[in-house]
Amino acid sequence: MIETGRPEALLPLALFMALMLGVSFFVRWQARTGEGGFLRQYFVGNRDLGGFVLAMTTVATYSSVSSFVGGPGMAWSVGFGWIYMAVVQVTAVFLVLGIFGKRVALLARKFGAVTVVDILRRRFRSDALAATAAFIIVLFFCATMTAQFVGGAKLFAAVTGYSYELGLLLFGLAVVVYTTIGGFRAVAITDALCAIMMMIGIVLLFFYVLEAGGGYGAIMDHIAANEPKMLEPFSGGNMPAGLYLTQWILVGICTIALPQSVVRGISYRDTKGLHRAMIIGTVVVGFMNIGVNFTGILAHGVLTGPVASYGGVDNIIPSTIAAVMPPSLIGLAIVGPIAASISTISSLLLVGSSAIVKDVYLHYRGKQGKTTSDAALRRLSMAVTAILGAAVFLIALTPPSLIWLINMFAFGGLETAFFWTLLLGLFWRRANRLGAFLSMGGGTVVYCLTQGLGFKIMGLHQITIGISLSLVLFLIGSFLGEPEPKEVLREFFPE
Amino acid sequence: MTEKEKYRQVCREAAATGIALLVLIVFWLFAGFGLAGSAATIFRLPLWAAASTVGVWIFAIVLVWVLTKFVFRDMDLEEERHD
Repeated sequence: MIETGRPEALLPLALFMALMLGVSFFVRWQARTGEGGFLRQYFVGNRDLGGFVLAMTTVATYSSVSSFVGGPGMAWSVGFGWIYMAVVQVTAVFLVLGIFGKRVALLARKFGAVTVVDILRRRFRSDALAATAAFIIVLFFCATMTAQFVGGAKLFAAVTGYSYELGLLLFGLAVVVYTTIGGFRAVAITDALCAIMMMIGIVLLFFYVLEAGGGYGAIMDHIAANEPKMLEPFSGGNMPAGLYLTQWILVGICTIALPQSVVRGISYRDTKGLHRAMIIGTVVVGFMNIGVNFTGILAHGVLTGPVASYGGVDNIIPSTIAAVMPPSLIGLAIVGPIAASISTISSLLLVGSSAIVKDVYLHYRGKQGKTTSDAALRRLSMAVTAILGAAVFLIALTPPSLIWLINMFAFGGLETAFFWTLLLGLFWRRANRLGAFLSMGGGTVVYCLTQGLGFKIMGLHQITIGISLSLVLFLIGSFLGEPEPKEVLREFFPE
Repeated sequence: MTEKEKYRQVCREAAATGIALLVLIVFWLFAGFGLAGSAATIFRLPLWAAASTVGVWIFAIVLVWVLTKFVFRDMDLEEERHD
């Protein structure tokens, strides 16, 4: 670690956060005409994203701080098997956009929907289902956001020598403020800038790791001589086959159902942009995953001790940054991981806020026959976003232990709840309310219970239980219950 | 396109995306586990380590390009007023 408190290490991050705030105020100023109504403006950016920004915001939302810290730390300890596993994430953009991108875009325009829950409510004619979905979103999003705050602030403290709290204050407050003020369009544009900073950060670290390790050839010779297991797919047992399987499910296939990804299908302007985004997104997500994990492996040229001497895998990347970067560039090197953290938080914060404002509050007001003015909507939406952000910020100040596990736990929970409900709901006529309800409710409850009790089948991550059970429950419900009425089906499946 | 034609096209694209996923999984299995026994190296990496990481990435990009070029169609997302 470097000595405490280098002011120059703060400067790049502070400038970057100022840029984020600037973008947000600019977007707010630009949107002052209020075209399309406030909700559409604030929660889906008036459905006006182009291909590049759509790709970048999808990647940046998906890639979290653990992709930058925990992941490459594991690559350092496991070897190439870890990259082989991580590369399944090249599916994370094209699958969700290819399967749901146009489907939700068309449905959202038809119904004037601005959230994924809007569409589910319409499909299954169920307020209880919509409320359950909104609750699951808020619950798991808060857990994920806390993990992102904690991860970013810990990295900040480890690398700059300043305190955890200062880091949290610096980027945590900024992300809550810029999301609250600028809404979706600010989130999308700042996400794109974050994705660019992540890539710069990876290239920078890659370059300095190579240099400090004496060049690519020397590092690879060192690994081949001292860590031959790292060159095997199973890494001498460190990388079991079951892990490959569950990672395909958890961070590959089932990510198509993450509400924060699916909502991006409501936000783009035209299909040309969608097609471009699928290609750009695949290029970028692959570059990041391979780049950052490969850098983790090459850090063997710099960190040659056993993993315990660095205090665990989560400290590998902070230690590497501190060891290889010139002091003047340390500040720049942490912007990438922090960008990964805030670009995830901003999107989750906004979708969480839309779940409370649009999916719950406004719906019940509408049912009571009350209307809400655009000015009141603006105040309410911003207040909810700010309060939700502040709540998570406060939790992160005194973080619960085992925070790193929470990220994957929440991923699995959201996937269990939404995978079949969205996939079957939007593509299968027979899917009905009972099936969706059993699948979302039952699957998620059992997933959480098995996680809580540490119960596994064949040693596999509980996502396998959650996703299988929610399918079975969905099918049982759909065949036992009545099909949805013809007029609903005609809206969703034109004949 | 009418609403019905759009719906059909969207289903076709979703199914093709699913097939692309299966093709990618097969390639991924072959490039990694399939080549793990090979003693060949490329840029000082075992062949499997290169093919299953950078190889899978490039294969996925080509696959998505083929999807968007040959299966996906441009369509107006707003509702057709006249049908």
